[in-house]
Amino acid sequence: MRPADLWRHSAFRLALGVTLAVLGALILVGAVGFTVLHRQLADRQDARLMEIFTTLRQSDAADQQDLIEAIAARIKASPNQSSVYALRDAGGRTLVANIQEVPIKPGLSTVEAASLGLQTDYPYRMFAGDLNGNFLIVGLSNADLDDLSEIILTGFGWSALAVLVAAIAAGSYIASRLHHRLNDVTFTLQRVASGDLSTRLAVSKRGDDLDVISGEINQTLGRLGALVEAMRQVSADIAHELRTPLNMLRIHIENAARNAANSAAVEDDLAAAIAQSEAIDQTFAALLRIAQIEAGARREKFAPVDLVALVADIGEIYAEVAMDAGRTLRYDMAGAAWVMGDKELLTQSFANLIENAIRHCPPGTAITCHVRADGNRVTASVSDTGPGIPAGERDLVLRRLYRLEKSRTTEGTGLGLSLVKAVADLHGAELLLGDAGPGLRVELRFARIIGAA
Amino acid sequence: MRILLIEDDAAAADYVARGLSENGHVCDVMADGTDGLFAATRETYDVLVVDRMIPGLDGLSLVRALRAAGRKTPVLFLTALGGIDDRVEGLEAGGDDYLTKPFAFAELLARVNALARRPPVQEVKTLLRVADLELDLMRRQASRAGQPIDLLPKEFTLLEVLMRNEGRVVTRTMLLERVWDFHFDPKTSVVETHVSRLRAKIDKPFETALLHTLKNMGYSLHAPR
Repeated sequence: MRPADLWRHSAFRLALGVTLAVLGALILVGAVGFTVLHRQLADRQDARLMEIFTTLRQSDAADQQDLIEAIAARIKASPNQSSVYALRDAGGRTLVANIQEVPIKPGLSTVEAASLGLQTDYPYRMFAGDLNGNFLIVGLSNADLDDLSEIILTGFGWSALAVLVAAIAAGSYIASRLHHRLNDVTFTLQRVASGDLSTRLAVSKRGDDLDVISGEINQTLGRLGALVEAMRQVSADIAHELRTPLNMLRIHIENAARNAANSAAVEDDLAAAIAQSEAIDQTFAALLRIAQIEAGARREKFAPVDLVALVADIGEIYAEVAMDAGRTLRYDMAGAAWVMGDKELLTQSFANLIENAIRHCPPGTAITCHVRADGNRVTASVSDTGPGIPAGERDLVLRRLYRLEKSRTTEGTGLGLSLVKAVADLHGAELLLGDAGPGLRVELRFARIIGAA
Repeated sequence: MRILLIEDDAAAADYVARGLSENGHVCDVMADGTDGLFAATRETYDVLVVDRMIPGLDGLSLVRALRAAGRKTPVLFLTALGGIDDRVEGLEAGGDDYLTKPFAFAELLARVNALARRPPVQEVKTLLRVADLELDLMRRQASRAGQPIDLLPKEFTLLEVLMRNEGRVVTRTMLLERVWDFHFDPKTSVVETHVSRLRAKIDKPFETALLHTLKNMGYSLHAPR
């Protein structure tokens, strides 16, 4: 990663920002601490200065010569002139001293070493005052204090630098790791944009925020892929399923044209053409409807539906239809079984299942509808005593446009069960085809909602 | 009847207009939504037939604008959009009925006729009568020539729809929508079965038939002509 790239990474900029904030806080705390410490030390130095002055003043009580000797002894004890002394008489003549004869103000003051004729760089803290007609000057080098200040400031400087370096290093590391993972995301999304909807983001086991986002993106991609696949499927289905009937339509029309040319009757051909065009329209409408259901937008309009009432209504409608067709339909159920759903689509699904049983089973077949709510599940089933579907073909019949070989001759779009499957998927319901021994049992398992009004 | 057809497909418009004229209606055609709205507000029509996808102003907006202007002319939407929600959208925008393309002309004609003479909403009838057949909507009772007839709830609704459209054709699809709330095309003889049951109750025991089947069109309930 180039430094310029580094700057474009939010993680790095964040790390740097945090560092600068920490650094600012450190400098502020340091400045306050240093000032307090410095003042404390200066106060102590002043106290020491006063102490020396007071000690010398007390010893003066005996004799001026004793005082001079005491000061001389002190001067001797400080060969590097870390403490300085001067005793001058009233005329300003120096009696004893290790500094030059420069005027010093009475009281506390700070004086440069050079002006005292000393060779060090440090200033001196002085205290001067009257002592029995003489003038006593005591001074202490600021060397310790200044050195200490320097040590503290240097320490602060280095630690600040260390913090800065560590933060930049950590920021770069985090940025580069993040860069790596985000690069994966970018790369994956680029592949998606170029049409590969099967690719997915890697999700680690850590479950951090990036994993959560990656998971969401993967889900979105899955949904998108399903939609695109559904669309592709519809176009393929339309091409496949509509070409043959369109060809038939053309044949009817051509027959009519030929008959008309020969002045023969055309009514039959035209009626056949109209019937054919209606069949095409139905197939087309069914395919579109399934595609729309699979797109899932209907879910927003879900409302509580009582499946017992719904299936009983359909059962009532079809009982006589079945009877007229020589089959029987029973729909024994009581109570209520609430699910969240789309009433119109559920009605069509159960009607499809019942119509399938009426149309594909021989006369005499008994059809039974059943709805049961238990626990958190609602099971609705339509079973018949007809020929059933061989176990191996049960998955196939759910596919679009699939028809059992023997039902090829009955008319129909071959989309009835596909619609039921699409509606079941929309409702998150399980669709199971089973053996009713003998016959087919189609079962739908919904999640029950309890306490619906 | 004066009918305004707002449809931009010239061939389809010609087909519908010619059919309506042949059945004794006067039909004006507008190919553009803005012109259509103008005509619909300026002139008086009995029914508007509006395609949803037209240039200028789309059908939904046109009908919304018309309703906002206080015009209550019945509207039949025509559309090639076969979506599940499109019908609801059309009705919510102020449409009175909905027909998906492609359609049989007989279906369109039946629906236009049903719309045209729909009684105003405020006029609530509680007793329907066709010849000697009576339907009491309050007491939910049917009788013919003074003899009570036992009807199942759906049979009652079926008879009510037919009686409200006395003398007019009610198509199979109209019955599916209005009686059973089926918005799809059943593959079995749902309508035929129930109409024949109803006929067995209201017509069979009596001398004259009131419920008539019109081949390839639908049903019509009326006194002998």
